[in-house]
Amino acid sequence: MEQVTSSLAPSRATTLNKSGPASSSQSGAGSVTKRLGNELMTLMMSSSPGISAFPKTDSNLFDWIGTIEGAPGTVYAGLSFRISIHFPSNYPYVAPIIQFETPCYHPNVDLKTGTICLDILKDKWSAVYSVQTILISLQSLLGEPNNESPLNNDAATLWDNQEAFKVQLLRHYRPLKDDA
Amino acid sequence: MATDALRAQVAAKWQESFARLNQNEPGIVGLLNFSQAWDIARECIRPRGLDEPDPSTRNVDRSKFQASFELLNRCRRLPILLESFLEDMRKRFLVIEEEVKEFLLEYERTSNTTVILNLVFRLLQWYKKWLPMQELGATLHSAFVLSFQTHLFSVLTPTFVRGFKELCASTLPSADPETSDPAPNVEMWQAFETLGLLDRYENIIASVGYEHIEAHVVATCTGQWSESMLGQLRKWMTDKVVPWMLLMYARNATTADDARAMLQNVGSRFDFHMAKTLCDLRTKEIFDIIIDYPDSSGALQDLKECMHRVDQRASLVHTLRKANQKRLLHPGADTRLILTQYVAIIKCLRIVDPPGVLLFKVADPIRRYLRERPDTIRCIVSNLVGDDDGGDPLVDDNEPIQPLQHWELDDYTDPNWEPEPVDAGPDFRANKPSDVISTLVSIYDSRDLFVKELQVLLAQRLLAISDDNTEKVEKERRSIEILKIRFGEAALQVCEVMLKDMTDSKRIDGHVQSQKASIIHPTILSKHFWPMLEATDIGMPGQFRMFQEEYAKEFSAFKPDKKLRWLPHLGTVQLVLHLRDRTVEADVPPLEAAFIELFSQQDVWTLDELIANVGSSVDRTAALNALLTWVDLGVLKEQTENSFKLLEEAETAPEGARESRTVTRSVVELPPAPSVQQQQAEQMRVYWKFIEGMLTNLGSLSLDRIQSMLKLAPGYDQSIDQLSMFMEAARLEELVAVRDGMWKLASK
Repeated sequence: MEQVTSSLAPSRATTLNKSGPASSSQSGAGSVTKRLGNELMTLMMSSSPGISAFPKTDSNLFDWIGTIEGAPGTVYAGLSFRISIHFPSNYPYVAPIIQFETPCYHPNVDLKTGTICLDILKDKWSAVYSVQTILISLQSLLGEPNNESPLNNDAATLWDNQEAFKVQLLRHYRPLKDDA
Repeated sequence: MATDALRAQVAAKWQESFARLNQNEPGIVGLLNFSQAWDIARECIRPRGLDEPDPSTRNVDRSKFQASFELLNRCRRLPILLESFLEDMRKRFLVIEEEVKEFLLEYERTSNTTVILNLVFRLLQWYKKWLPMQELGATLHSAFVLSFQTHLFSVLTPTFVRGFKELCASTLPSADPETSDPAPNVEMWQAFETLGLLDRYENIIASVGYEHIEAHVVATCTGQWSESMLGQLRKWMTDKVVPWMLLMYARNATTADDARAMLQNVGSRFDFHMAKTLCDLRTKEIFDIIIDYPDSSGALQDLKECMHRVDQRASLVHTLRKANQKRLLHPGADTRLILTQYVAIIKCLRIVDPPGVLLFKVADPIRRYLRERPDTIRCIVSNLVGDDDGGDPLVDDNEPIQPLQHWELDDYTDPNWEPEPVDAGPDFRANKPSDVISTLVSIYDSRDLFVKELQVLLAQRLLAISDDNTEKVEKERRSIEILKIRFGEAALQVCEVMLKDMTDSKRIDGHVQSQKASIIHPTILSKHFWPMLEATDIGMPGQFRMFQEEYAKEFSAFKPDKKLRWLPHLGTVQLVLHLRDRTVEADVPPLEAAFIELFSQQDVWTLDELIANVGSSVDRTAALNALLTWVDLGVLKEQTENSFKLLEEAETAPEGARESRTVTRSVVELPPAPSVQQQQAEQMRVYWKFIEGMLTNLGSLSLDRIQSMLKLAPGYDQSIDQLSMFMEAARLEELVAVRDGMWKLASK
């Protein structure tokens, strides 16, 4: 029930905002918060295996922390990676900024900064994507890197040799600690 | 040893006294005269026995007395005379004391108030006998009265007080209107007055009056609630009690105005007492008065008026709360009853105390109690939609339907604004004369619960409608329309969808049937808008499955973006069984139908096989019940335990009674819809997801942090204690672990 009404709510809210430009900035932030709240609800209830995210604090919905587990059957299986998600104030018209916090040895991830090269986070971003779809994309990106546009050239070249890749991966990987 | 000075002084005193008594007479003539006068005077005022002649009867002596007293006065010996008189009186009083004792003994033996009356008259005789003549001056008189009363009161024992009270009571007008009232005994009251008994025993006389009033009020008003008694009581006071009061309180009155003025004070005291007694009585009866409402409105009016006069509000609240605690708020009382009584209390106390302070104080425990009852909401809601099996509706039909009210801030520009009553508590919220439904709904802080329950109820009722009974759907629609006025359009949107589903189902069914006729007529529900219906995995066997599949195919052709999920257990099946020697018609629940369908494949089944063929979720008892239905209808027979055989040919053995039972057993139970409690459990599951989510991503967290983070979950309203209990439960299930107050997910 709740889901139904709450998912009905934001569309109404946005139309309202458009009609009242005077208070647009504030209520605009309000509608983003609402959208993020709904996304959180959907994500929590979806129970997709191996992906999860949650706001850092209850006061600020714009900064989240996520966890991605490597999909079974890939070199990343059994490893968990923490990521940070920052939503801009004009989300969802602009993609969130996502970085790996856990060092991730991956062709499309900068090992030092954690920057990710993923088309849907850049030019292919669309407002219909959500935290959940991003997390699923990232999870599949781990197993299926795009070696055409690598950020980590070593990893890209090493990808074909999965065993050597795994050695490198584990060399850089640091398991999660309990504290955020 | 005596010095000269002392001697001289004594001599001077002696001379002076002698001169005063002797009055300049020669020799001691003066002294002799004085001595004679003294004797005469003493004789004159001596306290005598009742049989002795009065000194004043002999007129001859009168002038002599006068002269003697004058002489004594000149010699300034009157005070001494007075003293000796009082001393004499004290000595003689023993006689009276003896008499009083005798009378009282007599009274103790007989308990007859006449004895007391006689005693009073006897005392009066003594009093008159001893009373010094008026001519002897006021000093002597008042000294006598004082001294007489002092002695008298000292010998009057508590027994006398008791008797006196009885005596006074006996003069009161009788409660029984048949017997004539005792004639006013003016003499007696005068005797009381003379002897000073009235002043001394004023309290007792008043208490006699009070007790009389109390007795009358209790006798005439107990259980008489239909009309206001106060007017009658006041009339009774005027007719009966006031004349009695006149005798003592207005005894000196000469004119009617005089009497009224004298009575004013004491009269208002009596009136107050009457109001207080009535108020106490009604307070004691208040619970039953409320039960009898509206037949008891007279009593409530009385109570209201008495409350104005007597401040018994606290006691009323106390009594009613206690009565409620004892008689209403216990597990034995039906929730419906509690609600009915609560509504009655609301109505009654509004009469007694329009501002609502009393109501607020009394209602609080009831509301708190109702909040704890699991079925309160259901009761209220079913009452709202008129789904009651008998019993009065909580709401009058003629009460105007109006939107639910919110607590509003006082409007200080309102010229009719009034401050809160003085005894209002700090959390008192001015209860604007809102309607009963608003009050009931406000038992809970949120309206959502009601709307949810309403949905559940509506779902039950809609699903129970078999065939295409548009009329019933229309009825539901009407009641929803009414509720919309109360709860607002938005809240009931979901119900609207549910109703629309019903009509849509018919339309869709019409279309599907036109494409390909089918014997099943499903009701198609939009899953999101209906309360959670208990899912089941009964798989309908045989031809039923075929029908379902065919229908589903047609449906998806008609609505390609939608998919049917069958809830077969909510339907009913109309069956005609063609057996070798007979046909049996029956309206049965789907489980029964499924079983009998299986018997068309083979004649003998065991219970376990049947269950396995229908779906493992079927409860054994339910399955057994379903089979017993057929056994009752004479279609199946239990061969050995849990093994059933189809009777192709009816067994002749059973008596005719059994045959006649082939009537359709229409056991259409309301489909089970999850209660609010189950939904709360579901809510908790949502919160758990959030907790899991935050612990996964943020690592270990303190309980406070979890509590504050849970604010992100919609509708989270649990206290930290509840959360703590919840987490503890999760810990026992080894879902989480705690260390140093930090919670984290248990490592898998």
